[in-house]
Amino acid sequence: MKSLQLENKSAQRIYNDYIARCNKALRILSAADKEESLLEFNSYIYEYLEANKNNGKDEIENLLNILERLGVPEETFKELIASKKMNQALRTFNPKVLVQALILNIGNGFIYILLSLLFLIEVCFVGLSVFKVIYPHRVGVFVGSHSFAIGYSNAQANETELLGNWFIPAAIIATAVLYFFSLFILKTQKKINKI
Amino acid sequence: MKNEFLKNWDTQLKKGLLPLFVLQALRKKECYGYELIQELKNSAGIDVTEGTIYPLLIRLMKDGLLAHKWVEQSSGIPRKYYSISAEGKKNLRDMKNAIEEILSKIN
Repeated sequence: MKSLQLENKSAQRIYNDYIARCNKALRILSAADKEESLLEFNSYIYEYLEANKNNGKDEIENLLNILERLGVPEETFKELIASKKMNQALRTFNPKVLVQALILNIGNGFIYILLSLLFLIEVCFVGLSVFKVIYPHRVGVFVGSHSFAIGYSNAQANETELLGNWFIPAAIIATAVLYFFSLFILKTQKKINKI
Repeated sequence: MKNEFLKNWDTQLKKGLLPLFVLQALRKKECYGYELIQELKNSAGIDVTEGTIYPLLIRLMKDGLLAHKWVEQSSGIPRKYYSISAEGKKNLRDMKNAIEEILSKIN
């Protein structure tokens, strides 16, 4: 992005600070998305300053006006970041990006709360696989005469563990299935929104 | 002279109709951000800030109602021109019909 060169030194400092703040607010995005958003904000500032050059106000005042109109970067970019992050999650299949996207979108509806719960279950399955190695007799699928439990149990005498060492591959497969199911829900929801 | 209640109501109404005004303005011609703000001010009498229009444009883009292209300028600061998509035109028609339906019920 080409930085603006302002005549007034103080105006230049205010501008540089604002762009640095935008940079920080956008750091979670990919380099290309970040650059595009900065270019757009830069264009808003430039066009406003150009159009109001001869309005009798000095450069600092005009700059402060347009920065106030653009608003707090963290707030103005909120929607963009949530939407771009979700696209990135669907494109990259990266669990870290998916978690970030879910957190950013959690206020946007029930579906994201549901998906976050699904993700928590996935994390639990991974955790249980590790525990299975450490406490082989305490982790698994337990069935008793009146009980059924998946996870960590204090192995009651009347309970039988069903899977044994197959618990680990079963948990990993369940995690993968849930993960792709989450992505499928997200993609379907995106398509429904477009109709 | 409008009273306080009417002023608030008017602001809320215009806020709610903003996506429609944006689509309507972009149906006339493609615009870059600052130009669109001026257009809304001149044609619809709506004074909207850059901080309000930016997230709205992002949302309309996400929903496929708008398209955009970057155009280089001699100043070295490119402009992002927004235009309405076929989907956007269809939505605009539906939105206008919805408003006409509401008006017919009021009258």
